[in-house]
Amino acid sequence: MSVAETTEHAPGYESPLITGEQTFGSISRKIGEITERKTTMTWLLAFGAAGSLALVLLGSIGYLFYEGTGIWGLNVPVAWGWAIVNFVFWVGIGHAGTLISAVLFLFRQRWRTSINRFAESMTLFAVICALVFPGIHVGRVWLVYWIFPLPNQMGMWPNFRSPLLWDVFAVSIYFTCSLMFWYVGLIPDLATLRDRAVTKVRKFVLGLFSFGWRGGNRQWKNYELAYLILAGISTPLVLSVHSVVSTDFATSIIPGWHTTIFPPYFVAGAIFSGFAMVMTLAVISRKLLGLQDFITLNHLEKMNKIMLVTGMMVGYAYSCEFFIAWYSGSIYESFAFINRAFGPYAWAYWIMVTCNVLVPQVFWIKRWRRSIAVMFVASILINVGMWFERFVIVVSLARDFLPSSWDYYKPTFWDVSTLVGSFGLFFTLFLLFARFVPMIAMSEVKGVLPEADPHHGGKP
Amino acid sequence: MATATKERIYSVLAEFGSAGELLHAAEKVRDAGYKKFDCHSPFPIHGMDRAMGLKRSKVGYIAGICGLCGGAFAMWLQGWTSTVDYPLVISGKPLFSWQAYIIVTFGLTILGAALGAVIGMLVLNRLPQWFHGNFYSESFKRFSDDAFFMSIEADDPKFDVDRVSEFLKSLGGRTVEVVKGA
Amino acid sequence: MELKDKEYWRSLEQLAGTDEFRHYLEREFPKGTVELAGNSWSRRSFLTTMGASLALAGLTSCRRPVEKIVPYVTRPEEIDPGVPNYYATTMPLGLSAYGVIVTTHEGRPTFIQGNPLHPSSKGAVSPIVQASLLDLYDPDRSRSVLHHGKETAWDDFVAWWKEQYDRYKQSGGEGLAVLSESFNSPTLSRLKRRFHETFPKAQWVAWEPVSDENIYKGIELATGRVLQPVYDFSRAQVILALDCDFLGTESEAIANTVGFTEARRVRSRSDAMNRLYVVEPSMTVTGMMADHRVAVDRGRVGSLLLALARVVTARGVPIEFARGVNRPNTELASDFVQVLSGDLGMHRGECLVVAGRAQPPAVHAMACAMNAALGNVGRAVTYHDIASLVLSSDTDLAALAANVEKNAVQTLIIAGGNPVFSAPRDMSLSTLLEAVNDTVHLSSHVDETSLSCSWHLPRAHYLESWGDAQSWNGANSVVQPVITPLMEGRGDVELYALLAGGEEVSAHDAVRETAQPLLGRAGFESKWRAGLHDGIMPGSGPAAVVPGLSMGELDLADADGLILSFDCSKHFDGRFANNGWLQELPDPVTKLAWGNAALISPKLAEEYDLENEDMVELDIDGRTLEIPAWISPGQADSSISVALGYGRAAAGRVGNGVGFNAYKLRTSDNMWFATGVKLRKLGPKYSLACTQDHGSMEGRPIVRENTLAGYKEKAEFYPREIEHPPPVSLWDEHKYDKGYQWGMAIDLNACTGCNACVVACQAENNIPIVGKEQVCNGREMHWMRIDRYYAGDIHDPRVLVQPMNCQHCEMAPCEQVCPVAATSHDPEGLNVMVYNRCIGTRYCSNNCPYKVRRFNFFNYMNELPELIKMAQNPEVTVRFRGVMEKCTYCIQRISLAKIKAKNEGRTVTDGEIRTACQAACPAQAIVFGNIGDANSRVSQLRQNDRRYRVLEELNTRPRTIYLAKLRNPNPALVKDTDAKAEGGHG
Repeated sequence: MSVAETTEHAPGYESPLITGEQTFGSISRKIGEITERKTTMTWLLAFGAAGSLALVLLGSIGYLFYEGTGIWGLNVPVAWGWAIVNFVFWVGIGHAGTLISAVLFLFRQRWRTSINRFAESMTLFAVICALVFPGIHVGRVWLVYWIFPLPNQMGMWPNFRSPLLWDVFAVSIYFTCSLMFWYVGLIPDLATLRDRAVTKVRKFVLGLFSFGWRGGNRQWKNYELAYLILAGISTPLVLSVHSVVSTDFATSIIPGWHTTIFPPYFVAGAIFSGFAMVMTLAVISRKLLGLQDFITLNHLEKMNKIMLVTGMMVGYAYSCEFFIAWYSGSIYESFAFINRAFGPYAWAYWIMVTCNVLVPQVFWIKRWRRSIAVMFVASILINVGMWFERFVIVVSLARDFLPSSWDYYKPTFWDVSTLVGSFGLFFTLFLLFARFVPMIAMSEVKGVLPEADPHHGGKP
Repeated sequence: MATATKERIYSVLAEFGSAGELLHAAEKVRDAGYKKFDCHSPFPIHGMDRAMGLKRSKVGYIAGICGLCGGAFAMWLQGWTSTVDYPLVISGKPLFSWQAYIIVTFGLTILGAALGAVIGMLVLNRLPQWFHGNFYSESFKRFSDDAFFMSIEADDPKFDVDRVSEFLKSLGGRTVEVVKGA
Repeated sequence: MELKDKEYWRSLEQLAGTDEFRHYLEREFPKGTVELAGNSWSRRSFLTTMGASLALAGLTSCRRPVEKIVPYVTRPEEIDPGVPNYYATTMPLGLSAYGVIVTTHEGRPTFIQGNPLHPSSKGAVSPIVQASLLDLYDPDRSRSVLHHGKETAWDDFVAWWKEQYDRYKQSGGEGLAVLSESFNSPTLSRLKRRFHETFPKAQWVAWEPVSDENIYKGIELATGRVLQPVYDFSRAQVILALDCDFLGTESEAIANTVGFTEARRVRSRSDAMNRLYVVEPSMTVTGMMADHRVAVDRGRVGSLLLALARVVTARGVPIEFARGVNRPNTELASDFVQVLSGDLGMHRGECLVVAGRAQPPAVHAMACAMNAALGNVGRAVTYHDIASLVLSSDTDLAALAANVEKNAVQTLIIAGGNPVFSAPRDMSLSTLLEAVNDTVHLSSHVDETSLSCSWHLPRAHYLESWGDAQSWNGANSVVQPVITPLMEGRGDVELYALLAGGEEVSAHDAVRETAQPLLGRAGFESKWRAGLHDGIMPGSGPAAVVPGLSMGELDLADADGLILSFDCSKHFDGRFANNGWLQELPDPVTKLAWGNAALISPKLAEEYDLENEDMVELDIDGRTLEIPAWISPGQADSSISVALGYGRAAAGRVGNGVGFNAYKLRTSDNMWFATGVKLRKLGPKYSLACTQDHGSMEGRPIVRENTLAGYKEKAEFYPREIEHPPPVSLWDEHKYDKGYQWGMAIDLNACTGCNACVVACQAENNIPIVGKEQVCNGREMHWMRIDRYYAGDIHDPRVLVQPMNCQHCEMAPCEQVCPVAATSHDPEGLNVMVYNRCIGTRYCSNNCPYKVRRFNFFNYMNELPELIKMAQNPEVTVRFRGVMEKCTYCIQRISLAKIKAKNEGRTVTDGEIRTACQAACPAQAIVFGNIGDANSRVSQLRQNDRRYRVLEELNTRPRTIYLAKLRNPNPALVKDTDAKAEGGHG
C-alpha cells in the first residue's frame, strides 16, 4: 500500500532519489528549519515586490468595478479578452500539482515525493489566480453569484447547458479537491513541525492545524487509503478540468473555437505549462533554500522529459488543427486558420509556435536537459508561449463569419495591469507558503529512504 | 474513568530502533492478545497492518457512497430545475438535455467521493483530537521525526503496568516509559 | 486628438478677439471643459456634467401647447397616461416639406414617422427627418435672447425693433436688409410681401449653402422660366443619374426612393425591373444601387452628357443643342455612352435623365432638353412654376455682401441659417458683419453667426412652432406644434410678423389667416381641423407646366486636373451637426461616423502614397484645409470629395470640432467643385471612427445576387450557397407551431442602404449614443446596422448592402451558452433578451455568428442629459452598464398590438405590427409578420424563390430571411465579372 512496497521494482531505483546521506532526522531538520529560522532579507524583498504587484491587481479590479469592463480593450466581436486568456492560462498552470500528486502517485513514481508538495501548493495558488478572472470579467459583478444554483426570488436557475457554468463547477471542484489533497498530505508534516516547535505560539498553532496527529498505524491505515482514493479520483478530475475549460471554446460555433481536438489538446498544454511553472519555481527555491539534495538534477531532468513530450503533443495539436481545417472543407474553418498564421495576429501565433514547439526541442540533448540555466530559460519561454496560445485562441473572435463585423482587439493599460497583478498574487501566496509550510513532504520522503523498508539491512 | 489519584497512567510507551524492529514487536504484541495498542512511526510502515492484525479501512465505502449521492443529486438538480421548476426553451433543445448535464454530474460525483474520503478518514481516526495521553511523554514527540514507538494503552483489558513494561522490554524496546499525566 | 483641437481652435480664432467672443466662450464652455476636450472621455464626461444642471430645465418645460392642436387618432386631447397620442405636422427643410406623424407620450414627442398622406414622405422618413426629433431636446439650444452676449428678454428685442421699425418706416427701409433661408411657406411669403410693402427700399436676400439653385438656373437657361422639375421614378424604366444622389442627399430623396423601388420591385420571375445608369464622382447611395456606374469627376459630367446627347441625336432623337462652348468628351466611357443612348432611345417616354444640384446650370439645361426630346415631360418628370417661392440665390448673397462693404446696410437681420460658417469664404462674412451697426440673428443655437451678431434670438424647433408649407409637389400642410417651446424660442412666423408689422402676432393666428382664402370662409373650422388632423390641407401646389425649350448659352467645357467636390453630408449643410444620432450614424458608403474625410480613389492613394487616416493638405489657390484621407473604391481617380457641414466651432458639445470644415475651401466661383486642387501628404495620422473595417465578403454567400436575366433563367444566386449536409439536429427540435410565430423578410433588391432604419431603431429603442472614442473601439450600439460589401474590380466596384439585425434564430447559438439563461426563446419564436437577468458574461455575443449583439461596456444611459432622456420611449427599458442588448423585433410594438387585438376579441391582423425599421423604410424593403399565418405577406415572401437565410449551413434557423439582390445590367455592357457575382475586393 505504501510507496515502500515497490522499492525493488521502482524505476530509477539505481540512482538515489535524494542525495547527501540523508537520515530521517536530517530530513525533518533540513526541511523544518526553513520554516523555523529567522525571516531572511531576500524573502522580505521578494515578498515586498510580489505584494505590491498583488496590490496592482487589487487596484485594477477596484477601478474595473467602478467604471465597468469598458476599461479593457474589449469590443464586439472580441467580447472576451485578456481576462479569459489569463483564466485559461492560470487554470492550465494549476494542473501540474495534482497531476504529480495523483497520476505519478498511482504510477508509483517515487521521485515525485520531492516535488509534489510545492507542485500542489503551486496548483492551489494558480487556481486561485484563475478563479479571480471569471469573477471580475462579467459586466455586473455584483450579480455574479447568479451562476450558482441558489434558490432566489426570481425562481430562476442557471442554464446547465452553458459551458461557462460547467467551468464554474469543474474549476471550483478541482480547487476543493486539490485543497483537501494538499492538506491531507500536510497533516503528518505539520505534526513534525509541532513536535519540533519551541515557542508557545508555534506549538499552539501547529498543534491546532495538525489535528493532534499521532502517526499511529491505526491512523496511517485510514490515512493511506484516503490518500489513495483522493489520488484515484483526482486523476480523472485533473484530466477533466481543462477538457471542460476547453468546451468554452469547443462547443461554440466560432471558427477557430469549434474544434473537437480541444479537450486532449488543452490537457496536454496544461500539463506542459504546469510543469514549466513548477520548473521555474523549483530552480529558484532549491537554490535559495538549499534543497539541492532533495530536488536533485534527476528530478529536474525527469520533468524536462515530460515537458518535451507534452510540448510535442501540443505541437501535434497545432498541426492537426490545420489539417482538419483543410480536410473539413469548411471555408470558415480554413480561413480562420490561414488567418491565424498570416492574419493580423500572426505575430502572436508565431511567438506561440516558437516557444511551445521549438524551445522544448532543446531537451533532446542530455547536457541541456541537465543544465539549470537552459531549463530555467526554457521553462519561462514555455509559459510565455502557453499564454500566447490562449491569446491566439481567444482572438479568433476578431474574424468570424460576417466580414462586416471584423475588428481588431487591442489591450489597454488595465488589461496589462490585471495580468501583471495576478502574477503578484501568485508569488505572494507562494512566498507565504515557502515561509511557513514545509516545502517538501517530509513523511513521504522519509518513506522512500532505504531505511524505511522494514526488511532493510537483510533482516528476515 | 476518573480515579481519586490526581495522576493517572495512560499507556506504556516503548521505543524501537527501526521500522523492522517495530514490525516484529507488533506481531508479538498482537499474538499476546493485546487489543488497545498502536505503533507510531514518522511514515507508514509496509506490512504493519498485517503485523497488528488490523482489518481493511472502511474509508473506501464511505467515499463510494458519498460519490454516488453527489452524482445523483447533480443529475436530479439539473433535470428538475430545467424541466419542472422553471422550463425554458434554450436554443430549441429538449428541456431535459441530459448530455449537457453529464459534466456537472461527474464533477459532483468526484466532489462527493473526495469529501467522503477525507471526512471519513478524519472521523475514523477520531481527528481532530488535540489531546492524547501519549503527548505527556517528552520522548514521544520524536515519533514524527525519526523514532518508532509501540504504545499499549491503559484501558486495554489485559493491561498491567509492570507486565506490559516487562513484555515490551523483552521485545527489544530500547526504552520503556510509563506515560502518566493529570 | 491634438489635431482635432487645433482644428477647433483655429476656427474659433477667426471669431476671437472681441469681448463678446470671450464672453460667449465662457458661457458656452464651462470651466474645465477645455481641458476635458483633450482627453478621450471628453464627450462622455461632458454629458455627465450637463445632465445634472439640466434636470430642472428639462422637467419644468414638459408642457402642452396652449393653442388647440388636433391628435391624429380620434382620442380627446387630454393625455391618457401610458397611451401615446399621434399628431400630424410638417418638417420644413429648404424648399422641401416632409409630412410627419409624431408620437407623443404624456406630451413628450418621442418618435417621428412619415405621414402616408403626404407626397414628400409617403409614410417613410429619411435619417434627417427621423433624427430631427433629437434636436428638439438638444440641451445646447440657446435659452434666451442675447444682446452683445448679455441675456435679455424678447420684450427688450421687441422694444428695440419697434424703434427701428418706426425709423425705417420713414426712410422706406433704406439700409435695412434681411438675410433669410429659402422657404415655401405661404404665411412667410405673405409676411415677406407685407415687409416689402412697409419697407420698399429694404433688401431681402434668401440664401442657403446647400440649395437647388443650379437646377432652377439650368432650367431657366433651357426654358426661360424658373421651374422646379418633379420626378416620378415609378414611371421611368431607364434612369440616368448624372452626379445626382436622388436616393440619398438630393431633395425629395424619400419620395424618389418610394417611386424608384416601386419600379424596381420584383415579386416573381415574370416581373420587369427598371435600369439605373449612374455617372458620379464618388460612390453614393444611388451609385450603390446602379446597374451601370461610371466614375467621372464633377467637371467632366457635362461633356459626357453632351457626347451622349450627340449619340442620341445621331440615333434619331433630335435634341436641341446648346449653343456656346460645347466640347463633347467622346473618349470618356464611350461604350457606356453608346449602350446608354440606345437604351434611352428604346424607352422614349419612359426614361429619365436627372442631374444633381452640384452640376452647373448648363448640365441641367441639357438634361431638361434631353427629357423633352425623349418625351418624358409630363410623364416621369413634370415642371412646376416656383417663381413665387423664395429661392436661395448666390448672386443675391454676393450683392448683399457688396452693399455691406459699401456701408449701405445699417441693420441686418439674419433669419435662420449660419452664413458665417457656411458662406463662400471670398466674402469673409464674419468681418463684414462687424461693419454693420445692428445685426440680428435668429438661430436655434448660439452658433458661429450668433457669435458675430449683436442680437441673438433663440429659434423654436419646428415641433414647437406654428407654420405652414406648400411643397411644389403638391402638398399644402401645416406645421403644428406638439409641445410648447422648451426654451424661450420663437418661430420664423413670429419673427417675420414682427419685422413686417412691428408688433407681436400669434403664429397660430397668422397661419390661420393665410389659410382663410385657401379653405374659404364657409366651414373653415371643420376644414382647418381636418387639415390639422390629416397633416394635409386642401388645395395643391403650383400647377405643372409644359415649357417650351429655348436653349441659352451653355458652357460645357471639360474641367481638368485634380478636382475637389463638395458633398452634402448627413448633417445636410451642417445644421444638424449637434445631433448625436446623426453624428453616430455611419455614412452609407464609407461607414465613417463622427467626422468626415477627403475621399480618394485607390489609384490616387497609390499615386500620392496615401493610406486611410493619413492627414493631407488640400490647397485651392492659397486656401488650405488639413483633413484625413480615406480611400473609397468607386471614387473617380481625378476627384477628391469632402462632405460639407463638419468642423463646426459653435455647434454645441456634440458637434464642436467633429470633422473638418470644408467650407473653408468654398468660394463663390467654386460652390460645388474646384479645379486645380493641390494635394499634399502630411506626417501624422488621424483616427477616424469607421464601423466596418472589412469591405469584402471573402467569397462567402452573405449578400447574394444575380442579374435579372440570370434570375429569369434559373433562381440561382451568387456567391453560391455553401454545400453542406442536410441540417439535421441530434435531438428532437422544439416545435413552434402554436399561436403567433413572428418573422421578418428583408428584400435586398429594394434596400438602398439609406440608413433610415438605423436611426428609427435608435429612436424607438432608446439606443445610447456612445461617442467617437467608443465607436473607434468597435463598441457602437446600433441594433440594426447596414453592412456594405464591395464586389468586382476595386477600381469599378459593385456595392452590396445588407441590413443586419438580430436574426432571431430558432436554434440560437447565443442562448445555450448563457450561464444564467438570460436569453432564451419565447413561445412566439422570439429570441428574447432578459436585461435584468443578464450578468454580462458576453459569451452570447461571442457565439453569435451574425455579431448583432451589443454590450453596455459603460453606463451610457446615466451620462445622458435629463433633457435628452425626455426623448426616450417609455415603452422600452433603458439598459444598465454590464448588460447585453440586441434587436427585439420591437417587442413593445408586438405586445401593444396583441393587447389591442385581445381587447377587441380578435387576432392581430397582418401588417398591424410594423417594426420601427419597417415603418421608416422608404423602399419598403422590410416586412414583418406572423409566419404561422400562411397568407401573411412575410409568409408569402418566405415562399419567394429569391429567399435565403444568411449562414444557413450553420443550422441556426434564422427567423429573418433575405430576398436575393437583383441587378439589371444592359446585356450589351455585361462584363464577365458582373455576370457571376463573386466575393471580390475590399
